[in-house]
Amino acid sequence: MKQTLSFTLNHKPYTIEADPCDRFLDVLRNDLSLRGTKEGCGVGECGACTIVINSNAVTSCLVLAGQADGADIMTVEGLSETEIGSVLQRCFIENGAVQCGFCTPGMLMSAYALLQHNPNPTREEIKEAIAGNLCRCTGYVPIVNSIEAAVKSLQS
Amino acid sequence: MKYKAYYRPQSVPETVELLASLEGPVVLFAGGTDILIYAREDDRYADSSIVNIFGLPELQGITLLDDEIRIGAGVTHTEIEQSPIIQKYAKVLADACRTIGSLQIRDHATIAGNICNASPAADSLAALAILDAKIEYLHEGKPCELPLVDLIAKPYKTVLTDRDLVTCIRIRRLPEGTQTVFYKLGRRKALAISRMTIALLAHRAADGTVDDFNITVGATFPKPYTFPEINGILLGKKPDPARIAEIAQAISAKIPEIAGIRKSTTFKQPVCRNMTARLLNELFTEA
Ligand SMILES: Cc1cc2nc3c(=O)[nH]c(=O)nc-3n(C[C@@H](O)[C@@H](O)[C@H](O)COP(=O)(O)OP(=O)(O)OC[C@H]3O[C@@H](n4cnc5c(N)ncnc54)[C@H](O)[C@@H]3O)c2cc1C
Ligand code: FES
Ligand code: FES
Repeated sequence: MKQTLSFTLNHKPYTIEADPCDRFLDVLRNDLSLRGTKEGCGVGECGACTIVINSNAVTSCLVLAGQADGADIMTVEGLSETEIGSVLQRCFIENGAVQCGFCTPGMLMSAYALLQHNPNPTREEIKEAIAGNLCRCTGYVPIVNSIEAAVKSLQS
Repeated sequence: MKYKAYYRPQSVPETVELLASLEGPVVLFAGGTDILIYAREDDRYADSSIVNIFGLPELQGITLLDDEIRIGAGVTHTEIEQSPIIQKYAKVLADACRTIGSLQIRDHATIAGNICNASPAADSLAALAILDAKIEYLHEGKPCELPLVDLIAKPYKTVLTDRDLVTCIRIRRLPEGTQTVFYKLGRRKALAISRMTIALLAHRAADGTVDDFNITVGATFPKPYTFPEINGILLGKKPDPARIAEIAQAISAKIPEIAGIRKSTTFKQPVCRNMTARLLNELFTEA
C-alpha cells in the first residue's frame, strides 16, 4: 500500500513511493539504499538507528515512514556537508571514539542534534545527550572526549 | 507492520469526520513508541485503520490558564521537560518526564500516548495524578472530560473507545512557593518488582502550617490513585516527625491494600515508607 511521501533529506528534496506504515529506518536502508543508519535492537533501546528529524534526535526504528512526510531529516550520510557534522566526524576519529563503528552513526547524530541546540554543552549535558546510545567497545569516555573536542574546535 | 489502511488527517475536525466514517478497529497513532513495540510482537493491527495524529496542530502547545495549565495531547516529553511554564508552575511533571526513556524517546513520545497506553509503570502518571490532571477528549465529536484517575480503568486499559481522541490534558497551576518532589527508583529494563516512583507537592502558609499537600506512589498500583485521607494527616498542621512518620506508614500500607500481597510487596512497602519519610523530612527542613 505505497503512498507518495515528500521530505527533505540531508538538505535535498525527496518524493518517493513507500509504505507509510513501514518503519522509517527501513525506508532509509531498503527504499533509499542509505545504509549508514544501523539497526541494533529495533525497540528504541540502543540508539544505533538515531537520525535527526526537525532538529530532534529520534530512533528511526520507532518512526513511521508516514511521519517523515513533510519533515526535515538528517542522517549520517549528510553530516560531512555540515560544519558541525564534519568537525564531529574528524574529532571522533582523532580521539579513538570509533572501534567497531556500529554505534558511530547513531552517536554522531545524537551529538549533532545536541550541538545544534546547545553549542556549548557541559560534560554532563553531553553524557545525557548520548545516554540513549549504547557502545559495547569504547567505554564512552573517548566518545564524550570527542564531542568536547568538537565543541572547542567549533568555537575557535 | 501489517494494517488495513493508513490515514493522515490535517486537523482535528478532519480527524473527527474520518473517525466517524471508518469501519472496523482504529488505531490513533501518535509518537508510536508503544504501538511499534506491540506491532513487533504479532499482527494485532492487521485489521486496523491507522490514523496518524502525530503533529496535528490543535494537539500542540502548553498554555497557562487562570488556575490551570493546558498541555496539548501531542506535546512530547522533551517539550514538557523544557517548558518554562511547567518548570515554574508544575515542576513535578517536568521532573517526571525528564526520567522517561532516552532523549530520542522523549523527543518523539507524547504525553497522551503515555497516558492512553495506561502502563502501570508509566512515569508521568503519578505526577499528573497529584496535579489533579483532567483529560479532555472528543467522543463522536463531542467534547468530554474525565479525571486521570477515572480515565485509566486497569493496567493497559482506559475507558476510552478506539475512536475517542484525547485533545489535551489540564493540570493544576501551582501557586508560587509550592514545593514539589519527583523520586524514581529503578529503570525501565529493571524488573517491575524494583520500580517505584513517589510524587508530592506541598505548600506552607506564612505561619508554617501546610495548606496544600498531595502525595502518591507510582509504578506500584494497577492504576493511578490519590489519597485525600492521607493528605489530610498534614493539611492544616505543622509538619513534624510524628506526622511525617504517620504519612509514610499510611501510604506504604496502601501497597498491600490496593496491589495485594505479592513478592514485590515485601520489597516495595519498606522502601516506600523509608523514602517517603526521607523526602518529606528533607522537604520540610530545607529553607
Ligand atoms: C526504549 C523505550 C524506553 C521507554 N522508557 C519509558 C520510561 O522510562 N517511562 C515511561 O513512562 N515510558 C517509557 N517508554 C514508553 C513511552 O515512550 C510511551 O509510553 C510514550 O509516552 C507513548 O507516547 P507515544 O506518542 O509514542 O504513543 P503511541 O505509541 O503513539 O500510542 C500509545 C497509545 O496511546 C494512544 N494514543 C496516543 N495519543 C492519543 C490521543 N491523542 N488520543 C487517544 N489515544 C491516543 C494510542 O492509540 C495507543 O494506544 C519507553 C519506550 C521505549 C521504546
Ligand atoms: S535499532 Fe533503533 S534504538 Fe536500537
Ligand atoms: S564502537 Fe563498537 S559499539 Fe561503539
